[in-house]
Amino acid sequence: MTAKKRERLEVIKDIIYTINKNREIKPTRLLYASNLSPQMFKEYINELIEKKFIKLEIDEKEKKFFSLTKKGQDFLQEYKMIESFIENFGL
Amino acid sequence: MDIYQIILANKELLKILYALAISLICMVIVVKTDKIYKLSLHEGLRYFRNAFFFYGLAFLARYLFGVILPAINYTIIFPIFEYLIVLAGFFLLYSLTWKKFNPTETGHSSLINSHVIIFHAMAIIIALLDTLLGTFNFMFYSQIILFFYASLIAYSNYSKNPKRKFLKFYFIAMLFELSIWILNLLTATLFSFNRLLLLNIGIINVIFFLLILYGVAKVTKK
Repeated sequence: MTAKKRERLEVIKDIIYTINKNREIKPTRLLYASNLSPQMFKEYINELIEKKFIKLEIDEKEKKFFSLTKKGQDFLQEYKMIESFIENFGL
Repeated sequence: MDIYQIILANKELLKILYALAISLICMVIVVKTDKIYKLSLHEGLRYFRNAFFFYGLAFLARYLFGVILPAINYTIIFPIFEYLIVLAGFFLLYSLTWKKFNPTETGHSSLINSHVIIFHAMAIIIALLDTLLGTFNFMFYSQIILFFYASLIAYSNYSKNPKRKFLKFYFIAMLFELSIWILNLLTATLFSFNRLLLLNIGIINVIFFLLILYGVAKVTKK
């Protein structure tokens, strides 16, 4: 179970990191980059949108893309601290 | 007049300062972990914060209300104190073991859910048994077992990842808390609540909370 939960936080970090690196990214490209099944990808994306870490936008050509919110950028900056806290306290 | 006599002569004032100090340390721990909890929504962090929230409340209830509001009968304050402190201990242990219990609920309350409801029930039973039998032994024994187990887990975490320096401190902190509960039991059963012993237990207790605060401050500092 440890690995499962660790992975969850890591998956979230990876998705946010990928969006941040690309600034804007299409859903299909993000799905490939995330290395998740479409079902899992949908669950994570819905969760991240719900928690306001990322947002789904539509450009003038009606193309969808993801971008990071301020909260998502904060998460990326604080991720190392979060990881360090969890490991230092064995949580 | 030695230092112990001075302390014992001002014990009511010191009880308030002691409660304030521990409650303040607990409040700082909860506040300092607020941001990383809100960003990560990590379950272990959630229960860790719950533990220190309830420790803070427990010391406020016992000493501040007991001294500032003496009209509130001790037969009311002590069961509340016991309930809060036992619950805090359970939350601290659960923060180390939650992954083993296959938590499948998401978005649930961390104060009342199907996993922690048993902690509330056990804390109430322990507080009631001690109140009805006029003893503290149920609380002492439950906390000794709990912190013995927590010490083993903390040691196991440290031995698996010795590079993480605070894991060693956390193991030491758990041993401190285990020794506090053993000393409490011995003081109550063998030394008729000897004041000097209780004073030393209080000092070790402050060291325990300061160790945790030190770790939290060190890890969360930018």
